[in-house]
Amino acid sequence: MGGKLSKSSLIGWQFVLLPSALILLFSFYPMIQSFILSFESGKGNVSEFVGLGNYSRLLSDPMFRQALYNTILYLIIQVPIMLFLGLIIAHLLNQPNLKFKGFYRTAIFLPCVTSLVSYSILFKSMFAVDGIFNKLLMNLHIINEPIAWLMDPVWARVVIIAAITWRWTGYNMIFYLSAMQNIDPSVYEAASIDGASKLRQFFSITIPMVKPIILFTAIISTNGTLQLFDEVINITNGGPGNSTMTISQYIYNLSFVYTPNFGYAATVSYAIVIIVAVLAFIQMKIGGDKK
Amino acid sequence: MATSLAACGGSNDTNNAGNTTGGSSEGGKQKVVAWAWDPSFNGKALNIAAEIYKQEHPEFEIEVVDMSKADLEQKLNTNLAAGVTEGLPDIILVNDPNIQKYVNSYPGTFADFTNSSVDYSQFSQYKVDALTVDNKIYGIPFDIGVTGLFYRTDILTEAGFTAEDLENITWDEYIEIGKVVKEKTGKYMSTINPNDEALTSVLLQSAGSWYITADNKGNFVDNPAMTETLRVYKAISDSGIAKPVTGWSEFVGSFNSGDVATVVSGVWQIASIMDAQDQKGLWAVAPTPRLNIEGGENASNEGGSSWFVVEKSANKDLAMEFLGATIGGSSEFYERFLTEAGGVGSYIPSFSSEAYQQTSEFFGNQAIYADFTEWSTKVPGISLGMYTQEAKDALKNELPNILNGADLQKSLANIQQLFEQQVQ
Amino acid sequence: MRHLAAFGKHLFLIVASVISLFPFLWMIIGMTNTSSDIVKGQFSFGSNLGTNISKLFDSTPIGTAFMNSLIIAVISTVLTLLLCSLAGYGFEVYRSKNKDRLFAFLLLSMMMPFAAIMIPLFKMFSQWGLMNSVVAVILPTMTTAFMIFFFLQNTKSFPRELLQAGRVDGLNEWKLFTHIYMPTMKPTYAAAAIITFMANWNNFLWPLIALQSPEKKTLPLIVSSLASSYNPDYGIIMVAIVISTIPTVLIFFLLQKQFVQGMLGSVK
Repeated sequence: MGGKLSKSSLIGWQFVLLPSALILLFSFYPMIQSFILSFESGKGNVSEFVGLGNYSRLLSDPMFRQALYNTILYLIIQVPIMLFLGLIIAHLLNQPNLKFKGFYRTAIFLPCVTSLVSYSILFKSMFAVDGIFNKLLMNLHIINEPIAWLMDPVWARVVIIAAITWRWTGYNMIFYLSAMQNIDPSVYEAASIDGASKLRQFFSITIPMVKPIILFTAIISTNGTLQLFDEVINITNGGPGNSTMTISQYIYNLSFVYTPNFGYAATVSYAIVIIVAVLAFIQMKIGGDKK
Repeated sequence: MATSLAACGGSNDTNNAGNTTGGSSEGGKQKVVAWAWDPSFNGKALNIAAEIYKQEHPEFEIEVVDMSKADLEQKLNTNLAAGVTEGLPDIILVNDPNIQKYVNSYPGTFADFTNSSVDYSQFSQYKVDALTVDNKIYGIPFDIGVTGLFYRTDILTEAGFTAEDLENITWDEYIEIGKVVKEKTGKYMSTINPNDEALTSVLLQSAGSWYITADNKGNFVDNPAMTETLRVYKAISDSGIAKPVTGWSEFVGSFNSGDVATVVSGVWQIASIMDAQDQKGLWAVAPTPRLNIEGGENASNEGGSSWFVVEKSANKDLAMEFLGATIGGSSEFYERFLTEAGGVGSYIPSFSSEAYQQTSEFFGNQAIYADFTEWSTKVPGISLGMYTQEAKDALKNELPNILNGADLQKSLANIQQLFEQQVQ
Repeated sequence: MRHLAAFGKHLFLIVASVISLFPFLWMIIGMTNTSSDIVKGQFSFGSNLGTNISKLFDSTPIGTAFMNSLIIAVISTVLTLLLCSLAGYGFEVYRSKNKDRLFAFLLLSMMMPFAAIMIPLFKMFSQWGLMNSVVAVILPTMTTAFMIFFFLQNTKSFPRELLQAGRVDGLNEWKLFTHIYMPTMKPTYAAAAIITFMANWNNFLWPLIALQSPEKKTLPLIVSSLASSYNPDYGIIMVAIVISTIPTVLIFFLLQKQFVQGMLGSVK
């Protein structure tokens, strides 16, 4: 920093200009059109201006409420579990003298390479009434009769949460691991010499230094879970009785399954944007830099 | 349209220029492009039709692009909503409940067949009804899903029943039979999947009713067929005769592995049933059970699609002529469609052909297709309207409550209200 | 005591690994069985692998789709790493109030479900005559707020003294980026490469819409068609899934050494 601030700031703009312009063009321009569309309602290409009609419809829409409820439920339960697991695993795998590190790292990351459609199909067949998971539980005498996982509202949500956690924990683990690699090992050595326990080191050294990445994963995971779609479509299709439906699925239904109302679909999409933006803002305030 | 070369991304193959509006007619070849799902059934049908058409028109060529039904609907809607006809094919497969939705949402997009050479009186009336919007006919009827009660003769015999006991029964009788079957053989009578509305659709249509009325209003209250349908559905669920399944593969697995004694489904289920080769000779088909109310028939329909032609496509006339000459009026096509793809159409003249009269060893030498086509003449015609999917979702939402014993009238009122909110 | 702690750690990791790997075992077993056996829940190896593979190659253009996916994924990944690291670096190292505001604004773009902007995007590309091309598939997702965010956060722990040292050595601002930042941030680039490659490799919705001809199809589109026919052949589907999983596994193996090396080894 110092006297060259304004010149360096200018150079900084050179770095960010092109990427920002690309995002503005390919994301914001369509977003604006979508925003304009959110004030129209109709079917397919036959639609008319309705002002704030869609937004007031949204507030009293029971389907939307159900979708919102489900989506927020997933968010509150799944994201903290997943981030916490990812952090612990990354920390364990960051130890220099742990044996079989490579194996564990690969194994736990592997779920991330599956495509969302593929692994959803796998989970759906695994949790079928006659499926592997029930067979396993019965063989271990944990249950006597197969559980109809996907036909019970509570269990179906559990399956969805389990699937997402399985799929994305490794993803977050990688982020944490690469961030932890940037921490100079000598800092840990010095702390050990000073007598700090490993646990203490984790909370006083690792976590603070990885904080920017924790914030990153929190925002990204919140965003991802609030937009949850593929798993719900392919494992439960929103059922039983809309108990697993998410907001993204509702948007998809409004556009491609029901008689298409693209205007209202755009309105519901903005509902997601607003919720994610508010949550992201809160998260940044809590976990951001103090500069 | 002048953008085709740039869009090819550099590969200017002459034999695959099907990436702008439909096909092309270069150097004497006449080509159309079609989008369809399920290449071994729908795609095969188009190829059979093409072979037949080529007998008189050797320069004809068809390219069938395969994608899943959901993907096709996404692509179609995206294209049309963006107002872009470039990239659309000439021919599109459409599921019957979506016909009115497409025609009304994207006016002027699909070709009007009303004054074409196709003789619609030669097709099952209920299929033509589905294709008619505001007195115009928008496509060519394709396969039908006329339903039947497929049953395992060996299991039913073991439980003490004969073929006659299953002829033209009501659903209540079906349930009683099912209880005896379960008791005496330990097998389930059928499957049940509360997430899948196939059964309620079959029940409704068998009584000439549907989730929505002809003018697209919710048909849940003051509708005896709806009330009776849900009563029967709950009775099946409560009776313990139905095995719960959560998806398609489990459903098919249940009869392939011999866990269930019957399957009430469309004629196209034959292929899956016959996959279990160790069950050869052990199956037969009876008419669909009926609802015990006025207007209840022992015939219904599940599924079925039709072919649309895109109005703005460059090869619209060729596509219409091709479809009209084959799927729209060739007995030869329908015979080959049946023998080579196991597909049953709704073209009445073909019903008396040898192919349709054949007996099936798998089904104990019953002339199944003759039976199915006979039943197809009894299927009540209904209007599928524009909002079938919204109505089904509204029902799906309340179904768990109904199955748990909630007051039916109240549930129906709830569904009606939910539906009305969805179709603002 | 130490042994107990080590045992506990290993137990935890083993359980996590088994849970992670189990569905893959299921997939590999499924590959060798017939569809009806898979549906019945058979958990032993069958002898249908050869048939499944040949049926897959006969009934779908899976080889071409594989190449299409590969080309798109590789080009996208390279471009994304370059553009997003530039921006992340720029936003963080040359931080200013206005840049902060711009970045916060850009973040909004992540929050919109893609399905909602798909139609305007489609219209745009159609008007430019770019439909059905690799360009159409790559352009919209080349630069994402997500990746910029990733680089930005990681750059917070990048030691600025290195930049000062570089300036003292006479390097201009761009050379600082290429000669000091990029080599130092190898673990970040490696993670970003894996994530981006995977996202592009598995990308489904936009390629579905933007591509029309069958010979341009990408791998996920093939799997989707297979999974949704009336009577899906699960044996073939499992083979297709395994094939589509191989490249990302390979990339991970190649790049994962970066996680072990850490910073010390890469500062010249």
